[in-house]
Amino acid sequence: MLYVAKRLLAMIPILLGLTVVVFGMMALIPGDPATAILGSYATPENVERLNRQLGLDRPLWEQYLVWLGNILEGDFGRSYSLNRPVIDEVLERFSATLLLAGAALLLCSVLGLLAGAVSAVRQFGWADRTITFLVLIGISLPSFWLGLLLILLFAVELQWLPASGMVAIYGGGGPLDILTHLILPACTLAVVATGVIARLTRASMLEVLRQDYIRTARAKGLSERRVIYRHAFTAALVTVIPVIGIQAGFVLGGAVYIETVFQWPGIGAMLVKAISTRDLLLVQGGVLVVAASYVLFNLAADLLQSALDPRLKG
Amino acid sequence: MSARAARRDRPDQGRPSPWALLLNNRLAAAGLVILSAVVLLALAAPLLPLQPPDVTEPAERLKRPLAEGHLLGTDDLGRDLLSRLLWGTRVSLAVGLSATLIAAFFGSLIGLVAGYAGGRTDSLLMRGIDLVMAFPYILLALAIVAVLGPGLLNALYAIAVVNIPFFARNIRGVTLGLARREFVDAARLSGKSHLLIVVTEILPNVLPVIVITMSTTLGWMILETAGLSFLGLGAQPPQADLGSMLGEGRKLLFTAPHVSVIPGLMIFLVVMSINLLGDGIRDVLDPRLKSGALARPSARTEVRRERVPPEPEADPGRVVSVAGLETQFRIGREVYRAVGGVDFRLASGECLGLVGESGSGKSVTALSLAGLVPSPPGRIVGGRVDFEGRDLLAASDAEIRSLRGGKLAHVFQDPLATLHPLFTVGDQLVEAIRAHQPLSRAEARERAHALLGQVRIPNPAARAEAYPHELSGGMRQRVSIAMALANDASLLIADEPTTALDVTVQAQVLKLLDGLRAERDTAVLFITHDFGVVSELCDRIAVMYAGRIVETGETQAVMAAPAHPYTRMLIDCVPVLGQPGRRLDAIPGLPPPVNRLPEGCAFAERCPRAQDDCRAGEVPLEPLAAGVADGRAVRCLHPIVEDEKKEPAE
Amino acid sequence: MKRMAGALKGALTGGALATALLAAGAPASGLVGEAAAQTPPGVLIVGQIAEPKSLDPQAVTAVNDFRILMNLYDGLVRYKDGTLQVEPALAESWTISDDGKTYTFQLREGVAFHDGTPFDAEAVVFAFERMLNEDHPYYDTGPFPLSFFFSAVESVTAQDAQTVVFQLKEPYAPFLSNLAYPTGLIPSPTAIKEQGEDFGRNPVGTGAFKFEEWDSNTKVVASANADYWGGAPDLKAVVFRPITDANTRVAEMLSGGIDVMVEVPPDNVATFAEDAGFTVHEQAGPHLWFLILNAKEGPFADKRVRQAANYAIDKQALVENVLQGTAEVAAGPTPPAFSWAYNEALEPYPHDPEKARALLKEAGAEGAELTFYVTQGGSGMLDPVPMGAAIQADLAEVGLEVAIETYEWNTFLGKVNPGLEGKADMAEMAWMTNDPDTLPYLALRSDAMPDQGGFNSGYYSNPEVDQLLEQARRATDQAERARLYKQMQEIVREDAPWVFVANWKQNAVTSERVEGFTLQPSFFLLLHEVGKS
Repeated sequence: MLYVAKRLLAMIPILLGLTVVVFGMMALIPGDPATAILGSYATPENVERLNRQLGLDRPLWEQYLVWLGNILEGDFGRSYSLNRPVIDEVLERFSATLLLAGAALLLCSVLGLLAGAVSAVRQFGWADRTITFLVLIGISLPSFWLGLLLILLFAVELQWLPASGMVAIYGGGGPLDILTHLILPACTLAVVATGVIARLTRASMLEVLRQDYIRTARAKGLSERRVIYRHAFTAALVTVIPVIGIQAGFVLGGAVYIETVFQWPGIGAMLVKAISTRDLLLVQGGVLVVAASYVLFNLAADLLQSALDPRLKG
Repeated sequence: MSARAARRDRPDQGRPSPWALLLNNRLAAAGLVILSAVVLLALAAPLLPLQPPDVTEPAERLKRPLAEGHLLGTDDLGRDLLSRLLWGTRVSLAVGLSATLIAAFFGSLIGLVAGYAGGRTDSLLMRGIDLVMAFPYILLALAIVAVLGPGLLNALYAIAVVNIPFFARNIRGVTLGLARREFVDAARLSGKSHLLIVVTEILPNVLPVIVITMSTTLGWMILETAGLSFLGLGAQPPQADLGSMLGEGRKLLFTAPHVSVIPGLMIFLVVMSINLLGDGIRDVLDPRLKSGALARPSARTEVRRERVPPEPEADPGRVVSVAGLETQFRIGREVYRAVGGVDFRLASGECLGLVGESGSGKSVTALSLAGLVPSPPGRIVGGRVDFEGRDLLAASDAEIRSLRGGKLAHVFQDPLATLHPLFTVGDQLVEAIRAHQPLSRAEARERAHALLGQVRIPNPAARAEAYPHELSGGMRQRVSIAMALANDASLLIADEPTTALDVTVQAQVLKLLDGLRAERDTAVLFITHDFGVVSELCDRIAVMYAGRIVETGETQAVMAAPAHPYTRMLIDCVPVLGQPGRRLDAIPGLPPPVNRLPEGCAFAERCPRAQDDCRAGEVPLEPLAAGVADGRAVRCLHPIVEDEKKEPAE
Repeated sequence: MKRMAGALKGALTGGALATALLAAGAPASGLVGEAAAQTPPGVLIVGQIAEPKSLDPQAVTAVNDFRILMNLYDGLVRYKDGTLQVEPALAESWTISDDGKTYTFQLREGVAFHDGTPFDAEAVVFAFERMLNEDHPYYDTGPFPLSFFFSAVESVTAQDAQTVVFQLKEPYAPFLSNLAYPTGLIPSPTAIKEQGEDFGRNPVGTGAFKFEEWDSNTKVVASANADYWGGAPDLKAVVFRPITDANTRVAEMLSGGIDVMVEVPPDNVATFAEDAGFTVHEQAGPHLWFLILNAKEGPFADKRVRQAANYAIDKQALVENVLQGTAEVAAGPTPPAFSWAYNEALEPYPHDPEKARALLKEAGAEGAELTFYVTQGGSGMLDPVPMGAAIQADLAEVGLEVAIETYEWNTFLGKVNPGLEGKADMAEMAWMTNDPDTLPYLALRSDAMPDQGGFNSGYYSNPEVDQLLEQARRATDQAERARLYKQMQEIVREDAPWVFVANWKQNAVTSERVEGFTLQPSFFLLLHEVGKS
């Protein structure tokens, strides 16, 4: 418990540093929100007038302190480009990303662990060769390209699955509807991570299977199934779990492309757009949430790992 | 253990060069071939008879592949796709490689400094790295490009910056371990400057990790560069790189898929070949995987007997009979004869000590009985093992499994490594019991507590809840013994059970084992390199050298008057109170590599008594005194005999 | 939000997610097919290019948002179907004083906002006061980026419940046309008072369609306004769906997820045109795609070099090949869509590399090195990167060495709008306007230099043009204005401050179930008359 509290506290300076970096970075990017809003009508005069209305004419540090003060009161400000509270947009987008990334993460963990374990157990057999080959293809494909190909095949040619979005436009919104929309993007997003996890699981299983305690388990007369899935797999899991935590970060990052390609209303696509429209507060809010979730993912992975591995306790 | 020992024995001239190893790996070689072909084509782009990549020809736009004059067709401005593809590959490879080098340089620098300096510098640098890592990587790259402006060079910087943390963390981890090592301390004491230490002592050791990280990230970098170009932030038109070609072709996906499919395939091909090659490089450089022994050991040693001795005559008192046992390791094209024909018998309640140096084949012999030699690379190629009325080498997997941990139990050397670190010792005991006895979980638990009591573990119920790492070495070994005794074994194979323990604990464990043997009438095969231990416990001993028994007999008889020169020297090495400095490795020379065993006596090279005939042919294991059935036998043409002084051997 | 969270929970509980994902394929297939075919008659699903920023008519700037707004609100006036001529809407009639400074509107009676409150003169005053008067209590519901459309307005007053008077500071001919623009749409004052800054997400107008819901990033739904003063629309409802990726939009259109798609990528137009299941609509609009040339410094300071660029670039090839016939070659600064003001006699610069080379030689600008700003996207920019690349190749042919720098749209604007001086020789640009005055007045006058708040980023200056534009602005007679603009076009064509490249034909695709759909030259999407079987 103390450990969790400590880790959560350690998160604060990172997030704080991040907000400073984001503020500084956004200030360095040429162009400003007013130009973005005004588009073709962005004369210096109009820009200045709009900046005044948006409170962007004040010095940067002052803007930052005001923002920080508001954050402490739970106010994330209002997005210039979307004309709505940042927190509403961020939470809404984030839950969509969480659904997508969560599904992808679940998919890549389950498939990756399974494929890796099977591959290790059937080392050099046809199953191993097939899996190794598929995994190799998976980690070598540009995911955005794969997404396009999948749309072409499943949505346009076969018309099995919807091409984009999260819910059907008419009569959509049910769990099944979301699920059908989720399949293509989640699978695309999961491909690389599945490959990474499968490779690691395979290597880790092979490493574990050479350990003395596996020989002990066999010397005890345990069935091979028990040796592999209880003794070896559990031990392999301990090394794989932190990597799943890291993959969570990659999946969140990779979501940027996938959300763009599949029009998934997630936070990655939102951030790309927010950067291009110079929507500082939206970028801040979004980065903060994503970074926090990244840190939390890793914390969860660490906790899970120490729950599995008694040696890490205390 | 022994597989590792066998590996250590490999002569240096037998180890293939890293290059050969890489080429041996068929997949890596395929990757290398593809990558070389792509790189060559890309490098040769200026020399090839290609159309200029940037010249537009609107009338020729969107020609399909294999069109007249355009092998791969044209894009939406009528530019030749083959030409753009090769020029684009050139750019993508160059950018990916440079980004990797930049990231590797700065990342390694940060990692080295943080790992070497430690303390505040370390935590400060790592907080910075955490910060970068917490920022979603693509957004960081986007933001960097947004600040710097689009362009290939800026995209390159962005990709490099984003990837610095991976290098920094990897290198820091390794450096951290190295910085506390003795040789670094030594260098420090010798007055070398920090810079010099890092460069001359640490860097060479870290280099393989850097190379591995580079080879595994290069493909990823190329993908990421392509991603940024795909989003329009990389190469500026009209310059082609694979990502921007893909991005430009993307909007034509439905009308002219080839425009995006072709660069997509090229990216895929390049990244895949780099990944294949990277895996190969990793396998070559990673010491743990180096020997090619990365194969998973199967449940049971492979048995492919070329020679099967006849069934021994029945003997009610005998528990196990081993005849002509031969076990080999096959690694690559090399064959290591770890066990080269071993015979012995054990009666119930009897204790046989199998003695020898590391790599003599004693552990492999012991593991061969229940098929526990890791396979691959292990393989039993001859002999038979009669136990409980059947030949174990011919028994089914199920029979073997029911014997293992049942009638045939093992205790291994290092109890920390041999107990599963993630389960409580109680669970592991219960598991051993329930594998052979139809008991409920609660009953098994009770029985486990009783067993722990029998091996003199105080407060067994509480200790059963402990994890192995929470117990002392002696306690752990007692747990191992309890586990071996869980199902009334008639043969206990103890493979150096006390080697990892300190002397007082060693004595306690030996006493325990001896008591249990007497109590239960269990036969014990005791493997050790320590004559001191043997003399305390064993009825008979068998001395092994280079995979064969060289001398056997009653313990007292052998100890009193060793006949084989090797035995003699081993006994002389036993530490004796008041005579420090006598150690096992005091025998000059090394045992012969078991993949290159000499003709004749394997010990001849190290033997002061060796003569020409020793190297001439097979030396049999023969009774020392003809006609005397005391079980003494020796594999020596010129054994040491009592009247040696009077009649020196010719 | 709530609905999505619920769905999320539903999807996650029971672990159904993982199993269903693993079994992805056959069972899901039937479902989608049905769902796609199930979009009911009377409900039109429109594929938009982006999420609307706001549905507050005074707060938005993007054509994409206008497409929704024009169906939710009405203005005092509107463009007549198929033209850019103004006709009555919420105002039944109007009079203009002789000095061109006082506009008096008679409002339509019996019109109510969707919230039931009546539309009257006070509502009109409220709408303009909110936008123009910094002391107005609801001024903070802004910002109102396009309020400068009405910067000529001095005051707005309600003479009586049905009469509104606009007093202008000076004669301003485009005023009526600006009133027809979305910035002049009239929102419900009651709703603004209730909603405050959230009005943009809960719009209330008088239009043919009534706002129902806005599901962020997913859809905006509007239902038919049965009491619409112009008669109830045929459709029961309209769903606007943001699909930012053009490919995805095409895919949705092909798979039946949307009924109408706007801004079809040029290369996909042919696909739809060949398919009997779809109808392709085209409509030339007041759009100009051009290159700003830096007339202040460098090679383009010489008129001959600017003309050479116009001769060198093969505009015909650009519109036919890169734009796949979705645009026409532009002849001058005014798009033909302003039919009354367009000079029919104007001929585009022909593609003549020989002439270009000759002019370059004459000007001594052979082999000049030029920096060319290209944007990656942006409203009305069509296919800017391939266009840029093709232009670069054309200029290379006459010996001009062009280095392209591409920027993301907002960065691009940040670089181009303050002027090209010291940075670049040429830049892509495109404008969509509602009045022939707007573009030349803002971007070609000597008094519209960037440091004076204008868009003359290439520093073109010709006193004759300045004078013509001022006169046209003050003339209230359309025939007189037309004469002045036509004269201006001839001069500007000759001076070649820009390379006039293309006038975009806006396009849209509808499925066979959609009836009565037409595109407007204004680029607005008017759905009042549209039906769907």
